[in-house]
Amino acid sequence: MRTCLLLVLLALTVSATAASAQSSVTGVRDLDFGVVIRGVQTTVAPNDPIRSGRFYVQHRLNRQVQVRFTLPTRLTRVGGGGNLNISFAATDAIAQGTAGSSVPVTFNPNNTQTFTLVSSADFYVNLGGRVSPAANQATGDYAGTVTLTCTFF
Amino acid sequence: MRIVTRVSAVVAALLSLATAAQAQSASIQALATVYTPITVAGNRNLDFGNVFPGVAKTIAIAAPTSGQFQLGGQASGNVNLTFTLPTNLVSGANNLPIGTWTGCTSPTNTTTGCTAFTPSGTATASAFSGAGALWVFVGATVTPAAAQAAGNYAGTVTLTAAYF
Repeated sequence: MRTCLLLVLLALTVSATAASAQSSVTGVRDLDFGVVIRGVQTTVAPNDPIRSGRFYVQHRLNRQVQVRFTLPTRLTRVGGGGNLNISFAATDAIAQGTAGSSVPVTFNPNNTQTFTLVSSADFYVNLGGRVSPAANQATGDYAGTVTLTCTFF
Repeated sequence: MRIVTRVSAVVAALLSLATAAQAQSASIQALATVYTPITVAGNRNLDFGNVFPGVAKTIAIAAPTSGQFQLGGQASGNVNLTFTLPTNLVSGANNLPIGTWTGCTSPTNTTTGCTAFTPSGTATASAFSGAGALWVFVGATVTPAAAQAAGNYAGTVTLTAAYF
């Protein structure tokens, strides 16, 4: 009886560990606006293959993933001395599964979004945005952090 | 009975663990580099002066009548220079062929020690000086035909500059 229960416990523990190992979110590419000009708003589209930000999410087929961005409103000048406004519009995020049949889903990165993984167990989330340098914006490099939190169900 | 209850509780806890939502986060950076706008001014026309039928005439970049552009931009910023060049200077219905373009970039308003390049519609990489300055000098050759009609001929040379 004891041996039998121990095996059940062990099996459940292994099952729980396996589920955890299968689910992950990884930052793949920075959202890089490159050179922007003072006084000129610059936009990066979420489908830009070079400049858009990108995450890779892996879970399990037919399960749900809730994604939530933590977005900056300003980028900070490296070395200090200023902030650069950054904003994200309602169509600045795209999620697409890795299966050939996956259909890209455009969504608002300012809102929480839940996906059911129907065609593939993993997908990419691309992020665009826009920076708005002031006419007297201090020149230099600016950076900020974009975080994607995934809740795996 | 007590053992069964305890074990059931542990099993329930593990089942809960196996099915509970798990959250994970990852981060990337949002990056931008702010530059000053580029300014481009045509400082001096490329002027061949008087030319004669059947006699080609070249204006070298170091000549006082070479074309000259003055650019301003981000200190040490990389910039692509792209030209729109005429193939003829025009006087009414008459054309005067122009070609064999030469160019030179300089951090100062002099061709001494400047960097030679061939102006064209294909971008030429250059850079602003540490003070955000750049001068571009342009020369070319006109080739009047033996029966070239007399008159004043003109064409437009356009320089487009963009950061890269």
